[in-house]
Amino acid sequence: MIKAGQIDKGTALLIKGQPFICVEREFVNPGKGSAFVRLKLKSPATGQTLRETMKTQDNAEDITVEDRDCQYLYNDGENFHFMMTETYEQIEVPMESFVDYQFIMKEGETYRVTFWEHQPLDIQVPTKVVFEVAEAEEAVKGDTVTGATKNVTTETGLSVRVPIFIKQGEKILVNTETKEYIERVNK
Amino acid sequence: MDIQAIIQRSSLMRAMRDWFTTTGYLEVETPILSTHLIPEPTIANFATQYISEFHGSRELYLVPSPEVFMKQIIAETKRSIYQFSHCFRNREQIGSHHNPEFTMLEYYTVGADDTDSIGITEELIAKTALSGTPDHLLPPFQIMTVAEACQRYAHFDLDTAQTVGALRKVATQLGLTIPSTPESWEETFNRIFLNFVEPELPQEQPLVLTEYPKQIECLAKQTPHRPYRKRWELYAGGIELANCYDEERDKEVVAQYYTQQYALLASQRAHSGEVIPDIDPDFPMLFDDFPPCSGVALGFDRLLMLQTGRNTIGDLILFNLSDMMADGD
Repeated sequence: MIKAGQIDKGTALLIKGQPFICVEREFVNPGKGSAFVRLKLKSPATGQTLRETMKTQDNAEDITVEDRDCQYLYNDGENFHFMMTETYEQIEVPMESFVDYQFIMKEGETYRVTFWEHQPLDIQVPTKVVFEVAEAEEAVKGDTVTGATKNVTTETGLSVRVPIFIKQGEKILVNTETKEYIERVNK
Repeated sequence: MDIQAIIQRSSLMRAMRDWFTTTGYLEVETPILSTHLIPEPTIANFATQYISEFHGSRELYLVPSPEVFMKQIIAETKRSIYQFSHCFRNREQIGSHHNPEFTMLEYYTVGADDTDSIGITEELIAKTALSGTPDHLLPPFQIMTVAEACQRYAHFDLDTAQTVGALRKVATQLGLTIPSTPESWEETFNRIFLNFVEPELPQEQPLVLTEYPKQIECLAKQTPHRPYRKRWELYAGGIELANCYDEERDKEVVAQYYTQQYALLASQRAHSGEVIPDIDPDFPMLFDDFPPCSGVALGFDRLLMLQTGRNTIGDLILFNLSDMMADGD
């Protein structure tokens, strides 16, 4: 058991016998009230989302999970296919729960995957990732307004709004949670 | 560093100062370091030590709001006043809408009540909003009582759910799991409110929720013959933005609040080892001669966040604690 206030993004919980992963957590203090925590939980098996607001002092049933290194191979539109680097065993993770990861994960790269009783629950993606710009719109001529932006697509297919000086083939650092451009990366 | 954030903060603050000046409010500046606070059991405090080499040391507190001083100025001057003040709340979790240190705009209007304050706040926001502020964050405000919101979104009658037992029954019927340990009416109310009511509140225009339950103790007057208080909260874009009271002026009621809330605070914190701030036992005496007035506390960083279309107050609080603590990341 843990206190609801200890739940963080990535914490695995058992709710009515089903494993859930916390994907969003925000603390709330209702006007003149004690502390609460608003949770968004996801069932990796079904993709079902659950929203719950608990007092930070409430108990929650956490489960012991294990992280393993897994190499991302490819996705078939329904599942991500990984290979566990220790055992070479191949596993599938339903894409439903991590839809936007297909535009973030790079084939051949190794990620930490969280398992609970051999069931993959979560894929850990770094919050800041360097991508290569695969396609970039031409900046509109004469558009010199400070802060002007345009769309680019990364080698993984992620669409990001960037400053107009970013060109195709350049590397950019992106926040994978907000999908926002952070900075240009110089080699 | 986000230069734009610095400029926007400065512009909004200047526009508000101009509005308050032309409307006849006096700007005041009160300490953030204090010898005593108003007892508020749900707000954890920061304490520090004043050291005097020859006269010993004593504990001082960072103010969770400037109310304790602003009310003294009102009692003395009988004038409408305002202040931008840094406020400090301990245990406050750091998140997109919380930082342990934040900027509060607090304004008290002498001769006004909570209803007048709605109009005053509408005008303040309308006249000072940064250009580009989306329409759904601008007045007019929609007005709804807490009981109406409970009826509409959680389908129960707040007027009749006045006992701990009755409210617990409502919560269970709504499907909430409530721990078997006893909890106060207010705690159960907050569970229902946060799970079923607040997420459903309309966001097409700012919303003023009026008539908060009397069980939520504070220094707002009680509504005669009804189990509510003359208190409202302003929501904009789904975010709690401001809190208003028709200020309690009855010396006996304030004194009773002080005694009860301080006892509650002290008993809760005796176990946890948290800071138990000193209080000023003479504070209720102010109300021997205190003008009718209504006070609003508005989260300035949140307002700025909304008006500039940002998602977290951390983008607008320079050197916010979260970044400082994560330094080296």
